[in-house]
Amino acid sequence: MAIITEVKKGCVIKHQNDLYLVTDARFTNPGKGSPFVTAKMKSITSGKGTEMTYKAVDEINIVEVQKQKLQYLYKNGDFYSFMDNETYETHELEAEIVGDDGKYLKDGMEVYGSIFEGRVVAITIPPKVQYKVTEAAPAVKGNTASSGRLMKDVTLENGLVARAPIFIKEGETILINTDTGEYCERINE
Amino acid sequence: MNHIYHVDRNFKKLQIRFAILKLIREFLWQDKFIEIESPTIVALPGQEPNIQPMQVVVHDDKGKSFKGYLHTSPEYTMKKMLATGFEKIFYLGKCFRDEESFGGTHNPEFTMLEWYRQNASYYDLMDDLENLTKFINKKLKFNNKNIAKKWKRQTMKQVWQEFIAVNLDDYLDSKKMYKLCVSLGYKPAKTESYEELFYRIFLNKIEPFIGKDVPTIIYEFPKCMASLSKEIKGGKYAERFELYYQGIELANVYTELNDAEEQKKRLQLERKTRQKNKRLVYPIDEEFIDALRAGIGNCAGGALGVDRLVMIFTMDKNIDNVLGLPMSKLFNKEK
Repeated sequence: MAIITEVKKGCVIKHQNDLYLVTDARFTNPGKGSPFVTAKMKSITSGKGTEMTYKAVDEINIVEVQKQKLQYLYKNGDFYSFMDNETYETHELEAEIVGDDGKYLKDGMEVYGSIFEGRVVAITIPPKVQYKVTEAAPAVKGNTASSGRLMKDVTLENGLVARAPIFIKEGETILINTDTGEYCERINE
Repeated sequence: MNHIYHVDRNFKKLQIRFAILKLIREFLWQDKFIEIESPTIVALPGQEPNIQPMQVVVHDDKGKSFKGYLHTSPEYTMKKMLATGFEKIFYLGKCFRDEESFGGTHNPEFTMLEWYRQNASYYDLMDDLENLTKFINKKLKFNNKNIAKKWKRQTMKQVWQEFIAVNLDDYLDSKKMYKLCVSLGYKPAKTESYEELFYRIFLNKIEPFIGKDVPTIIYEFPKCMASLSKEIKGGKYAERFELYYQGIELANVYTELNDAEEQKKRLQLERKTRQKNKRLVYPIDEEFIDALRAGIGNCAGGALGVDRLVMIFTMDKNIDNVLGLPMSKLFNKEK
């Protein structure tokens, strides 16, 4: 039996005789009543979505899945393609399951795939990823949420737009937190 | 520079935040409320069974140490003030609760508006909350139509009827609530308290759906879930309400219990639950009970989560974006 803090995005839970992939998990300590985790889940067999709330005393069956290093290849319609570098086997995963993480993928990027019964059911992207800046216009004051004094929008090699310090120039490499989408630091090569 | 970048990213949202703090004060001052201060370090914090205070150690000039806690709410201090004759008071400042998530709808250090009105009931505070939020909506030129509309007010009994088609009157003890949980497919432990069982259903089947469009006040809570509030005639429910909007709980309000002995009894029970829940345990603040003995009159008091209110006006889903420096970035855990 697992504890509720182990319920995370990407894990597989056995629930009512079906297997569900957790697509989002939110931990709440509401002050009233004991802490709980709300998990958004998708059935691996039917694709049907559901939401469950687990408390510390609840029985949660997290299914062990194998983790395998995969390389991101390309997006084709509603699917992302990845390659297993050992077997050269290609795996496809629905864009819907990849979700918001899709925007952080870049050519050749290494990710971890969760393998269940021979197929990839989820991917985990690194918490921080380096990107080359392909476009970095000077900061324009007044047209963004920020003050415009310290940060500006930059476009990265995979098309992702992020906020970065105004001193960042085209061609430089920056580190992005893939959890928040926020700039971490400049990488000096 | 991460702390500074955080501020810069949220520059406009923080401007809105500080404007809201100013408007809250203006609104209450117009109504002759006095802004009071409460010590944030207390010797004996509240006894709420699921709220964990943060411990601090203070040393005097001779090096003698004293164990204290950061207040989880200014309630006790404010009721001590009410006992001396203060009539309309508010606190707008920080409160602290340990073991909360860093981000989402929580931050361990958060801003609370707590306000008390003498010779009033929780109905008066429903009006206060509605008028205050509408005042901010107008002054900020946010002009959200749903906030400007007449708010919905429903009893807890009505929402249980509406969302799960049961009469809450029939489920006011743990045994019956346990059976209801089981019939709805939950697997609660036999030892769970009434409140735990209640929230299993409420948090899953009811809370996410209330106040989706129009701010909604849910009032009349089962008596055993309203430790500091006045009982309603009939003895089943108590005068407590919560405000919900867009699936978030924004405020919690009571007609205050003013019976010192009853209050002491309820706090002793809560203290026992804390022991059972393995929370920090400390004595009951007898000075607070003394305040009730001296008399706090017929008053009502409420607590509004100011950060969450700001989130409504900045249309944010994460509290971090409306804080100058959220706990998630304070320790630079990322590095």
